[in-house]
Amino acid sequence: MEALLNKFGNDIHEGDIFVMNDPFDGGMHIPDIFVVNPIFWKSERVAFAVSTAHHLDLGGRLPGSSACENTEIFQDGFRIPWLKLFDAGQPNETFFTLFRANIRVPHMTVGDVRAQLAACHIGERAIHELIGRYDVETFHSCATDLVNYTEQLIRAEIATWPKGQYSFTDYLDSDGCGGPPVKFHVTLTVGGDSLTADFTGTSPQMRGAMNCTLSFVIAAVAVCVRSVLQESVPNNAGIFRPLKIIAPPGTAVNAVMPAASSMRGVTGFRLVDTVFGALAQFLPDRVFAAGEGGNTLVIIGGQRADRRSYVYYELLTGTWGARPDRDGNDGLCNIANIASNIPIEQAECDYPIRIERYGLVRDSGGAGKFRGGLSVEREWTLLQSETHLAIRSDRRTHPPYGLQGGGNGTSSNNILHHADHDEVLPTMISTRMKGRERIYHKQPGGGGYGDPLERVPAAVAWDVKNDKVSLEAAHEQYGVILNEQTLEVDEAATKTVRRQMRSRH
Amino acid sequence: MTSTNGHLRFAADVGGTFTDVIALDDRGGVWTHKLPSTPPNFEQAVLNALKLLLEKTNRPGESVSEVAHGTTVATNAILERRGARTALVTTKGFRDVLELRRVRAPQMYDLFWDKPKPLVERYLRFEINERLSAAGDVLMALDEPELWQLKEKLEREQIESVGVCFLHAYAFPRHERIVGEFLRKHLPKVLVSLSSEVLRVRKEYERTATTVVNAYVRPIMGRCINAMRAGLNSQRVTAPLLIMQSAGGLTPAADAAARPVYVMESGPAAGVLAASYIARRLSIRNIITLDIGGTTAKASLIEDGRVAYSPEYEVGASLSASNRLVGGGGERIIAPTIDIAEVGAGGGSLAYLDKAGGLHVGPRSAGALPGPACYQQGGKEPTLTDADVMLGYIRPGKLANGDITIDLEAAHRAIHDRIAKPLGIDVMRAAEGIHRIANSNTLRALRAVSTERGRDPREFALVAFGGNGPVHAANLAAELRVKQTLVPPLPGLFSAVGLLFGGIEHHDARSCQLTGEALTPTALQSLVDEMRQTMLAQFRSEGFPADQVGLICDMDIRFLGQASEIRLSVETPQFTTAILRALEERFKVEHERLYGHRSELDNPVEVVAVRLIGRGGKHAGESQLRPAERGDAKAESSRRAYFGEKWGMVDTPVIARGQIDQPAAGPFLIDEYDSTTVVAPGVKVWRDQHENLVIDTNGVSHH
Repeated sequence: MEALLNKFGNDIHEGDIFVMNDPFDGGMHIPDIFVVNPIFWKSERVAFAVSTAHHLDLGGRLPGSSACENTEIFQDGFRIPWLKLFDAGQPNETFFTLFRANIRVPHMTVGDVRAQLAACHIGERAIHELIGRYDVETFHSCATDLVNYTEQLIRAEIATWPKGQYSFTDYLDSDGCGGPPVKFHVTLTVGGDSLTADFTGTSPQMRGAMNCTLSFVIAAVAVCVRSVLQESVPNNAGIFRPLKIIAPPGTAVNAVMPAASSMRGVTGFRLVDTVFGALAQFLPDRVFAAGEGGNTLVIIGGQRADRRSYVYYELLTGTWGARPDRDGNDGLCNIANIASNIPIEQAECDYPIRIERYGLVRDSGGAGKFRGGLSVEREWTLLQSETHLAIRSDRRTHPPYGLQGGGNGTSSNNILHHADHDEVLPTMISTRMKGRERIYHKQPGGGGYGDPLERVPAAVAWDVKNDKVSLEAAHEQYGVILNEQTLEVDEAATKTVRRQMRSRH
Repeated sequence: MTSTNGHLRFAADVGGTFTDVIALDDRGGVWTHKLPSTPPNFEQAVLNALKLLLEKTNRPGESVSEVAHGTTVATNAILERRGARTALVTTKGFRDVLELRRVRAPQMYDLFWDKPKPLVERYLRFEINERLSAAGDVLMALDEPELWQLKEKLEREQIESVGVCFLHAYAFPRHERIVGEFLRKHLPKVLVSLSSEVLRVRKEYERTATTVVNAYVRPIMGRCINAMRAGLNSQRVTAPLLIMQSAGGLTPAADAAARPVYVMESGPAAGVLAASYIARRLSIRNIITLDIGGTTAKASLIEDGRVAYSPEYEVGASLSASNRLVGGGGERIIAPTIDIAEVGAGGGSLAYLDKAGGLHVGPRSAGALPGPACYQQGGKEPTLTDADVMLGYIRPGKLANGDITIDLEAAHRAIHDRIAKPLGIDVMRAAEGIHRIANSNTLRALRAVSTERGRDPREFALVAFGGNGPVHAANLAAELRVKQTLVPPLPGLFSAVGLLFGGIEHHDARSCQLTGEALTPTALQSLVDEMRQTMLAQFRSEGFPADQVGLICDMDIRFLGQASEIRLSVETPQFTTAILRALEERFKVEHERLYGHRSELDNPVEVVAVRLIGRGGKHAGESQLRPAERGDAKAESSRRAYFGEKWGMVDTPVIARGQIDQPAAGPFLIDEYDSTTVVAPGVKVWRDQHENLVIDTNGVSHH
């Protein structure tokens, strides 16, 4: 919004609608289009209605406008700096023409932009109703109060946290171009009723497309802070006031031109893991071990038999790390986003693919007094001729961390089943896939919490009964011995084994 | 006036806390009784009440011509996890579809949220080697030896009820049918629910969950219905037993026992149905219903005399305002249901302060026990009812059933200690704040079914019921700018009333994917004809020949590639090209109304499901309700009630419904057996020829 106001200043009129997706002009990454509708009341600008949506395709090098090994923003896709989509009520036809010509599935993308416009109109109508019912002064003073209220709630809670400095480091396995791991380092400083998150020490911006903007880093920190609050607070700008974020320009957390950023989502998830890791040091009873570390993108795109383009964009999510007092949820969307799965029956009706399996993976949750969530696996067969395949996954060499003695979750994996051999694919890759070939993805498992030898043996037995933990893992990781037939706990043997394991530590 | 001949129709709405029963004779004479529910043998309360009402009306059991029943047995079994020992049979590679759900949590930022445990644990979910493609090709055939192994496993685990859900069985049920036939033959005591017999709708998680819920509650529902039947027989009541479905029609008990997932939301649906009946009699086409009970407020929309249906809903989820949008808190059910928006804002909803001094009401509720502070059953936290007592809206003293006494002092104490004192404000202001915040929560439900769907509330009347609906209705109507508010007779027993107005109804649905050249009248016709035959066969078996069955066909339509669809009705299930064109145009208009925009002009539409609704016979009971027992309000003639800053505390006349003979301006408190209708100063109220209270909320400003 700051960028918009800087650029258009006084040139904002009734009937204007603005559009933007440029990460270097206030945006997030190319697929996210912002639509802004200034709201007027008796010729006075009183508010903005803003809608953001991640779009299926915005052109660029590859279908879906997202690829880890993009090295410049120009490969990510069609870049829109702040401009007027509507000027005093008149649509900017030049823009729409140019836009349609540069994206792969214009009827879908433009339709979704229209939905964003509609959402803004609804927002505008609601604000008008509100001001009509009360008056503009009351509206402004209530809006100010609401933001102050959020700020006050958050400050009150930060004030109860132990003062001090807490650091944590986590990694992306690669820069998306086969390069070395990318380091994320944060130092949290709790000072009175405010919190500073300093990302100095984070890797320089990377060659690949996982770079992110400062705004995204601020959002990631806010998600973590909100998640450890004991009160629920209204979502508004008041959240950011008690937070100070330091992210040096030119690093992976504050990229500069011409960095690519289309796949920056995974960096956001890793930032959340990093900040939670630091929070866990002083709020151990309110933070969970690392979850799967972000959804996996599997993009299959090409032409159908009748040459119509299709983009099948699968977003696999997720599982939770173990909590201080309970297991992680097995197979659940990452806390930092809200996403759903694609119904298999729907996918198979709409796209030339078949899904061979979809389920939880045994022994994938980090062992602990409380077990990490199991990872999720899914496998697709391509039913037609050769096509494009892109995967964004992570956490193969840096698996999700456990806390307080809990084990790490298992690593992710990608296997392309060719007709005559299996190929392990890198975590991040764009490649080709032939008809009848199968691509398998396994997500990482969630980290465990606490010493596995303290896990209640009956809980281990229950997991074995449900095939979530194997008999072997029950023995080797938890020191729990079960009767192989009845799966009941052998109390005596368990005691002995656990004693031996403890003395070995 | 009591007659010993003539028929008596009997309705029982069984809730978790109370059971409401009504008897209606041919002349519109009404007898009511409210008594505590008797879990886990819910039928006991109903049978006790039946006995009592037969005695009161001095009639034999044989004179009862119909017993209509709304029940929460199934929903309770889910909430309390008291269902059958259930297994699930799935396609190989997909046993976790049930547990993974749609991988959503109902809210962000809550690290301690637990996904509800699956109704069938992983070790009782059995995979079978079988697979059909989306086009129905057999990719892997069923193998009989594997079915024998399955049988052994089910026996070993002592399974009572089993659900079967295979991929693509909504369109191609042959593998499910083979398994069903096998299990029914070789395990006759195990109840088998096939997804393709429950509902033939695409999306494997939703269909699996619906099938599993059906299987899980089936034995309990069956036992309950059998016990009820036996109890009726022993009182010489041989009349058919009919159960209210979530979609609003009645179905024979045997059908409900086989497909209990169709009757999960029985009670709420009956209330909406009763409201639609009242609207029809008054020739009002458009109404919004408002049902405020002890823990929740519910809203629904009736447009052009039709109730609105919802494609899916969740059972077993705890309440939160965002549930409707995000979901994930419960099992997602796709059985036909009336679209009802619900928020946790009932009489028992708790009021509390957050750390910044913000006042909240609900969704946490004081429940039946301890209940509101003013009930003096140990509750110390203030509730909405406490606020309404403080404001003078609810009468202190003995409650209708006599077990509970409402104490003004206790309400005062709770609101003072927990809200007013910490905030440093007057107790009345605190009470008013609680009342208004509850209203603002309730408005979210009312808006969800109206403005959020592009409907202008000014074109609707509000029909308010439930014990607390009439207390809040007029204020809510003003906020919503509804012009007219109706409070029907017996507002607290209204769901039971609704049971008397439902005909036999069946719902069926079939997913398809018809677009472009494939979208032809012939394609639709063959699908609908197949569904029609199945449905008419069912009606025939229930005693309705084809000429007594009315059919309505609905279609779920979307733009190609969209994820959500719009449901539109086609009056007659006879398709022509002209009808299709008109439908397409209506879809575009409705899309614009709902979402504020049309799609790109060249974007084709797609029919993704066809739905058939059949109604058997005529709707019964066009007679007027004339309660045999009138409400009593003689105890006091006025009460001090608070009407906002503008009016302050006002000495308010307390009157009975029957005392309003001509339009009069408030303030009034209209006290009845089971509720109080609040009419603010200057607001006009009258009683229509059907005993409804009509409040003129046109142009009334909120305070």
